[in-house]
Amino acid sequence: MLRLLAALVFLALGWAQEITVLTHSSFSLDKGLIARFERETGLKLRFLKGGDAGETLNRAILTKGAPIADVIYGFDNTFLSRALEADILLPYRSPEIQNLKATLLLDPSFRALPVDYGWVSLNYDRAHFKDRSLPKAPADLARPEYARLLVVQNPATSSPGLAFLMATVARFGEDGYLDFWAKLRDGGVRVAKGWSEAYYTHFTLYKGDRPLVVSYTTSPAAEVYYSEGKYQEPPTGNLFPELAFFQVEFVGILKGTKNLEGAKKVVDWLLSKPVQENIPTEMWMYPARRDAKLPEVFRFAPEPVGSVRLDPKVMAQNRERWIAEWTQVVLQGQSPEAVRRGRR
Amino acid sequence: MARLAGLLVLSFLGLALFYPLSRILALGVGEGFAKALANPYYWERYLWSLEYGLLSAFFTLSLALPLAFLFRRRFPLREAFLALSTLPFVLPTPVVALGFMALLGPRGVLGVDLYGTRALLFLAAVFYNLGLALRILLPVAVRLEGPMRAARVLGATPFRAFLRVGLPLLLPALASAGLLVFLYAFSAFGVPLLLGGPRYATLEVEVYTLLAYRLAFPEASALMLLEILTLGLAVLLYLRFRPYPLPPGELLPASWAWTAGLAIFFLLLFAPLGALFLQADPRALASAWASEDFTPLSLALGNSLRFTLLALLLALPLGVAYAVAARGSRLLDLLGLFPLLVSPVAVGLGYLLAYPAWRGSLPLLLAAYALLAYPLLARALLPALRSLSPNLLQAARVLGATPLRAFLRVEIPLVFPALQSGLALALAVILGEFGATLVLWRPEWTTLTLAIYERLGRPGEAPFKEALALAALLALLSGLLFYLLDRGRGRWG
Repeated sequence: MLRLLAALVFLALGWAQEITVLTHSSFSLDKGLIARFERETGLKLRFLKGGDAGETLNRAILTKGAPIADVIYGFDNTFLSRALEADILLPYRSPEIQNLKATLLLDPSFRALPVDYGWVSLNYDRAHFKDRSLPKAPADLARPEYARLLVVQNPATSSPGLAFLMATVARFGEDGYLDFWAKLRDGGVRVAKGWSEAYYTHFTLYKGDRPLVVSYTTSPAAEVYYSEGKYQEPPTGNLFPELAFFQVEFVGILKGTKNLEGAKKVVDWLLSKPVQENIPTEMWMYPARRDAKLPEVFRFAPEPVGSVRLDPKVMAQNRERWIAEWTQVVLQGQSPEAVRRGRR
Repeated sequence: MARLAGLLVLSFLGLALFYPLSRILALGVGEGFAKALANPYYWERYLWSLEYGLLSAFFTLSLALPLAFLFRRRFPLREAFLALSTLPFVLPTPVVALGFMALLGPRGVLGVDLYGTRALLFLAAVFYNLGLALRILLPVAVRLEGPMRAARVLGATPFRAFLRVGLPLLLPALASAGLLVFLYAFSAFGVPLLLGGPRYATLEVEVYTLLAYRLAFPEASALMLLEILTLGLAVLLYLRFRPYPLPPGELLPASWAWTAGLAIFFLLLFAPLGALFLQADPRALASAWASEDFTPLSLALGNSLRFTLLALLLALPLGVAYAVAARGSRLLDLLGLFPLLVSPVAVGLGYLLAYPAWRGSLPLLLAAYALLAYPLLARALLPALRSLSPNLLQAARVLGATPLRAFLRVEIPLVFPALQSGLALALAVILGEFGATLVLWRPEWTTLTLAIYERLGRPGEAPFKEALALAALLALLSGLLFYLLDRGRGRWG
């Protein structure tokens, strides 16, 4: 009743303004939380799902000046530089910043604020490897008997794909990473367009033929959580923490928003404790807040030791070249030497 | 009046095509062009697009030619089969792609997984274009009877008569059908995007990927230029092939057995659609109706119908004006064909660059739809207009009608069936439009086509089922609307 009354009052006074949040397709939050926010602020929330994280950001860049949303959430550290260079975000020093983990504050201009973080990581299907031996070191993946078991995402069209590519650059170096990928290619690695195609079509857990997949360190925990009691232990596991790639997801207010105050409220809300504690089981990322408690099921998702972190500046400078070189080697079958020669 | 019509078409083309395109090209010519051409990967994409176009044309013709000879006979349900053969051509790409997935995908009914293989892509191309090729070959094949009989009377064996008389006479029709199939396959977007995986991306898919994911305007526009040049060449060739004047022919008699044979053939041809309907679950339709995770079906359906109607209202006067203007001017005829050469993806991006203030506004999307649809409408209208005797118009003028009145009251009623066919074609194109919508998309504008694409990109069994059900619905809808307007006449191609 109270809710109805409030809604009527807002409607009558024209307060029920709509705030649009542009997000990636994996976005998800508890409906009750959203309803409560709408009730308390009188704002109506609308979520636009723009595809993969990179694709979503590009939509915002392409509509710069006449933004299709007020707030953008979900672009990660591999794309941070693009968002900042495109100059589509307004700076906002949210009062919640003091509660966030300091290591996540990668943008000193406060245009992009961290909401959550996690690791892109190799997953394997435990059932498949019950009687077979797992690869011992990252370099083993390139051996034909393992390469043909692996499905990865195209780094040009998928952010976990890009993250995994960057992890291989960090692990094998500028000279070595192309050789690694050339061997994967020759061994028969499969390339999927995006994460869901790789995981739900090609991964053996979902009746595909690849027991090794690029996913997230939290995916095993998610399998248990969604199994409704079927699994007590994760049916999948993480492989090679040294190939896990550290990812931070950001939120920002889009330049040209017609409701700056409302947009600020949305940002504060995303960083508030209830939402932060909801993120793990909805989006399977770790909350950016220091004081947010993790759900029980996250005991299956320990933070990988020795994972890969890259400087956003290094990523910004090399991202396009890495993607182009990867494409030449993996999709087109050029030799790594020829590609390296082409750098000059 | 023709001059006025020409002016209308030209000013629309200028605003809706040439200016936006020039903005993209301006970014690509120069450094981007050099950079792209120096990269062997892009040449690989180009060669694959060429291969896809050429082999698709080859496979389609090898099936369409014998089919055209079968259709020279009069047999029960002949017209229905003919109408059926063109149905795939007006099916939206996600429908066809999903149909093939349902038949030959990882979870397909046949249990054979051809996903991400060349074979699947070529099958889809043949499925798409067979009816188109048949429509072009058939009238000539029917008229061959006289000349071939003459050759037989003069002592040639049937085979020799076909080889020395039939084939040469068929050549222009074969060439123009082949070129049209090439045109469509070379610049294909939806099918390779959804079925090909990264290995078999065509130039058009690569342009989309470069822009949507990497914002690499220079490279993308260089590739676009390459695409336009190739397609332009194909169109110039296409326009060169004029059919030989042949005596009117008549249909040969045939039996019920003929019908039975063709029925089996069509059953095989439509197996992908059959599989789609077999796998489509009506309950998924219900769950899609008010979906909370994706665009609800109710909204998508409303959008599709609304946009199609609005765009048709725009495309109709444009198409008529273009047909009237092109009747008298070869140059205008050529210019008016231009939208067929340009990728919808590029059109969408050109708009974003050229009209920043209009970004995210509906007129841009409608202009794109009208641009892509009006040439097809006009192509259907043009032959009918050209075959009208000028005396009719002169008579009306002598009796005191203004040129406009004479046109509306005399000519339009006479070409009305052709106009209807053209409208049907335009409607099918708009209803299934994919590339430009994907670029200009605002979430609240999600059409049926995009609602399918949206569900395909998400994890899980449920969205996939919804996508299948929506595709079946869209197939029914476009088939039905097309049939209602065209009634299987198909005076186009």
